[in-house]
Amino acid sequence: MKDDSLKPPLAGVIYGEIVYWGLLISCVVVIVGSVLSFLGNSYVPVSYWLSTIWKGESVAEIWKGAVGALPNGHWYLDHLSKGDALTAFGISLGVFPVIPGLLLCGLTLLKEKEILYGLLAIGCGIIVIIGLLGLVPAT
Amino acid sequence: MVTSVPELSILILLIVGGYLVMGFASKVQGTEILSPTDIWLIIVGSFLISTAIAILAVIGGIGGGVIFTPIMLGFTSLDSLVIRATGLVVAMFSGLISTGPFMRSKLANIKVVIYCGFPITVGAILGSVAAIRLHNALGLVGDGIVRLSLGMLMIIIAYFLFTGGGKTEYPEPKHIDAFSAKMRLNGSYWEESLGKVVNYHLVRAVPGGIMFIFLGFIAGFFGLGGGAFLTGTLNLVMMAPVKVAAACSGVLLAISNATAIWTYITYGALIAVFAAPWMLGQVVGGILGAHLLISIRASFVRKVLIAILLISCIKLVLRGIEEIFGIDIPII
Repeated sequence: MKDDSLKPPLAGVIYGEIVYWGLLISCVVVIVGSVLSFLGNSYVPVSYWLSTIWKGESVAEIWKGAVGALPNGHWYLDHLSKGDALTAFGISLGVFPVIPGLLLCGLTLLKEKEILYGLLAIGCGIIVIIGLLGLVPAT
Repeated sequence: MVTSVPELSILILLIVGGYLVMGFASKVQGTEILSPTDIWLIIVGSFLISTAIAILAVIGGIGGGVIFTPIMLGFTSLDSLVIRATGLVVAMFSGLISTGPFMRSKLANIKVVIYCGFPITVGAILGSVAAIRLHNALGLVGDGIVRLSLGMLMIIIAYFLFTGGGKTEYPEPKHIDAFSAKMRLNGSYWEESLGKVVNYHLVRAVPGGIMFIFLGFIAGFFGLGGGAFLTGTLNLVMMAPVKVAAACSGVLLAISNATAIWTYITYGALIAVFAAPWMLGQVVGGILGAHLLISIRASFVRKVLIAILLISCIKLVLRGIEEIFGIDIPII
């Protein structure tokens, strides 16, 4: 028989649920964005994206042919009415819940007097934020 | 399965509806190499393959990227950064979506996840930055180096999967070191296939933690998650039961890839239209795989994955040698 010791810890449940439902919402955004792209409402035509990828063009060549230069940032935020940008936003939205998930998980652990684990969880969240903001330059 | 997870039913309906609209109402123009039908088939085919990969990957305790990235790098001529960025999507989303079920079922241990999560995120961000810098500095030779080293890495991953079978399903450490005891990396879960509670205590927390920095770097650099290494490290080094190791590795690779993928997104290497069906397939397959993992043994799936990895690694090594030395090796 299962007992109370098998009850999952609150911090884990909070992290898991935020990530799970955040990701499901992002999926809806991605589906809407994909459909809009195929209906012709796209920042860059779908056929261009897929053809250039299929030809094996480099990332720099793909973007140069599309808009003249690499985006170097969260380009989709300026074009959210376009299907491909909305799709990119949806994918980012799916990744994003890790940050509030880790931070809230950390705060819950701190509240439960698990100081070290709470701080480690918040530290993880901060590192993901550093990635999001592009604070470690890739070029 | 679908009725017990209503959100999965709704999601599948939305995806199917979306793809039907995209098929019948498409205003996509053809190009010299792809017709509108080809484009639609690529999208739908990607979704279906991604779903299958996710189910196998979650049950096998690895990231889907370990299957996707080597195959795409080995057998297609797509740009390696596009593959690696999409590979991170494939690697992370099945892990992300299985996080909820794993946490609810207590298969994933939050303390283990947090303890290993810190070093792995540090390694992941460094790995992703190194990947783009190497690609820009060395071009085709850089891609060759990536393919060759990834091919050799695959051999090690296959070995990890091979040795991570039956004998280590429920490891029982003889001695718990002082640091691991102090960190209280212990837990328990209900093992459905045994019909009883399994208690465990992880050991070797210091070497395990150090290894996770390296594993994060590999995940970010190659865009494959490295779930097999994560499962192997947790199971073989830190002595977690194989199911706990698989569940924690799913959650961990989602965290590490969520760190690494931002570098690819902001650089422009993640082409959303191409990556979207792979993401959706991972989510649907991830939910299915996570629920199946709770009730079945993973040993058969491991054997299938080992075979796939070995074929991929041979092709990767050959292509890596071709690109580095500018020669043509006449083997398919």
